[in-house]
Amino acid sequence: MTRTLKICHLYGNLMNTYGDLGNILVLDYYAQKIGIQTETEVISIGQTFDANRYDIVLFGGGQDFEQKIISEDLATKKTALTEYIENGGVMLAICGGYQLLGHYYIGANGDQIPGIGALDHYTLSQDNNRFIGDIVIENREFNETYLGFENHNGRTFLGASEKPLGYVQRGHGNNGEDGTEGCVYKNTFGSYFHGPILTHNGVLTKRLLSLAIEHRFPEFDLQKIADLPLEESRYQVDAAGVKRVQN
Amino acid sequence: MIMNIERVASMTIKSSFAITAGRFSYWYLHTFMKGGSSLPGKIATKFDPAVLKQLTKNYDVIIITGTNGKTLTTALTVQTLKQKYDHIMTNSTGSNMMQGLTTAFLADHQQKGQRQLAVLEVDEANVEPLCHYIKPKAIVLTNIFRDQMDRFGEIYTTYNMILAGVKLVPEATLIMNADLPLFSSVELPNPKIYFGFNHLPDGEVMASSNTDGVLCPVCNHIIHYKFISYASQGKFYCPNCGFKRPELNEEVTAINQLRPTYSHFEINHAPFEISIGGMYNIYNALAAYSVGRYFDISVEAIQRAFTEDKRVFGRQEVIQVKDKAVTLVLVKNPVGLNQVLQMISSDPTDFALAMLLNANYADGIDTSWIWDGEFETLLKQHIPSVITGGERGDDIAFRLKVAGVTADQLHETSDLDATLAAIEAAPTKHVYVLATYTAVLQLRSKMAAANYIKKGLSV
Repeated sequence: MTRTLKICHLYGNLMNTYGDLGNILVLDYYAQKIGIQTETEVISIGQTFDANRYDIVLFGGGQDFEQKIISEDLATKKTALTEYIENGGVMLAICGGYQLLGHYYIGANGDQIPGIGALDHYTLSQDNNRFIGDIVIENREFNETYLGFENHNGRTFLGASEKPLGYVQRGHGNNGEDGTEGCVYKNTFGSYFHGPILTHNGVLTKRLLSLAIEHRFPEFDLQKIADLPLEESRYQVDAAGVKRVQN
Repeated sequence: MIMNIERVASMTIKSSFAITAGRFSYWYLHTFMKGGSSLPGKIATKFDPAVLKQLTKNYDVIIITGTNGKTLTTALTVQTLKQKYDHIMTNSTGSNMMQGLTTAFLADHQQKGQRQLAVLEVDEANVEPLCHYIKPKAIVLTNIFRDQMDRFGEIYTTYNMILAGVKLVPEATLIMNADLPLFSSVELPNPKIYFGFNHLPDGEVMASSNTDGVLCPVCNHIIHYKFISYASQGKFYCPNCGFKRPELNEEVTAINQLRPTYSHFEINHAPFEISIGGMYNIYNALAAYSVGRYFDISVEAIQRAFTEDKRVFGRQEVIQVKDKAVTLVLVKNPVGLNQVLQMISSDPTDFALAMLLNANYADGIDTSWIWDGEFETLLKQHIPSVITGGERGDDIAFRLKVAGVTADQLHETSDLDATLAAIEAAPTKHVYVLATYTAVLQLRSKMAAANYIKKGLSV
């Protein structure tokens, strides 16, 4: 029996500035190892998002300019996306996508750009500065650490209903102040991590796959996913920062 | 008034002193230290920040800028202009920012009293500072793609950086790539020459999903194309607002043969050939052609200029490593990488592939871009050995595994000695080595130590 997971790459033709495509490639790579196929569709400007059609939604980062255009179109998808998130749909939102799921963000020229408020955070800007560099965070609930590369001007502040994706060990995170990075709400994960995030964090890839498969194919033995070996690069964190360790 | 004259006089004395100090330090470094690409410029600029104005007053300057293709376009333009002019001043990639440019002028031996030509490769962020001091005769805009976002930010930011410089010099003729929607999106008073591709019949296409800059720069709808040359370039039009590619002044009318080591094509129906593969290099040749025609150089002379000295195509050098011919190619961003992958896939003979990834400042410290490389397409053909290495060798190895490289094919190397050994042991006579900037330098110095190449040559 062929099992296929349906992936939606939300605004995939506009929001993919930092190799976000890698997240989809890696999901497919791990899925194939357990005999599951994936099928990806791009849903972009002027197209309808069907809340019941997809098993995983990826919403990537874009350039400020594209993001502003998307914010207008996104309003037309607000109800369906909110429904998808509230029903426990699996979503990974990176950088601009993460910001746009919240209430608003402040654009490069100081304008307040509305998000869809599906998640309870908001994003401010900073003057002539970006948080750039390697970042490592720790998720205390899952007892996992994640490695990524952050490059963002936005400073995001989480709402009461959200948990952080992790606490910063190295780097800046959501806002450089409260030690949090990213968000988790139900099965939606937000983050500023590039890299892309799933290419450096097999544990998170496996977590997303497990959630999606559990939902779509309840009979599937999830232990198969847990048993998959991790293949990405290894690293150490010390006083000097993040060090890659070659195999 | 008197104050002004005094100021001008003191500026000139200051400039002369700055030039003398700069020239002395260049001579000293060049003679005794075998170096000196930016320090003399730094010294001269310290004495007088406006020293460039004085240094360049007898030159007609052509600026060449953009993300990809600056170096070859500059070299081909120099080669072309040499058909008519004896002495042309130019600079190297290592000196395409303000201090390096100043050093390059300090080092140039110009004939007294004659006006001279300078063809300058200029870093995108340095066009504006430069245009405060010089009034270029022409500015060539090659393209703007995503590149080192940790340094340049987004493509619109890069375009605005260049635009800020262009706006200071409304008399400079703009010689622009018309196939990139950004370049014709802003009304400018400058004289304009547009070059582009017209080698395909009209159809209806859209850019692939990992392309940047697919929104109409005028009305923000998704742009359509009658045809695409590569990435976001082609005969574009916006179905919403009517914005479309401007009329071309110089055009590639046919592409007859593309191979990794040469290309045959036609510009305005005249045949041309260059000893380098890749569609992107045809754009570079077209840009150089357009500058040549602007300077009234005949088509025949330009044809000759493109073929008489193959060393201008230096970036894709072939190095003999024991019985292997190794083609070393610099890669630095996804558009460039994809063009290189496409070029390699046009090779009809067997080859092995190596990719070396570093993430130092000059390489770009964020390696996310490797995931936009279309390795999957290249791997549709069988490549008997795929070697990975560099300081971030693990990252590129994982990228290639995801792209479908099997354990039998993949040779991961943990240091450059092992990389070189893997190249020597490759099962094919030909090996393509793709490497980021600092990885190229490191591999070259290993190859020099092993006597495969002479020391000291640059990339």
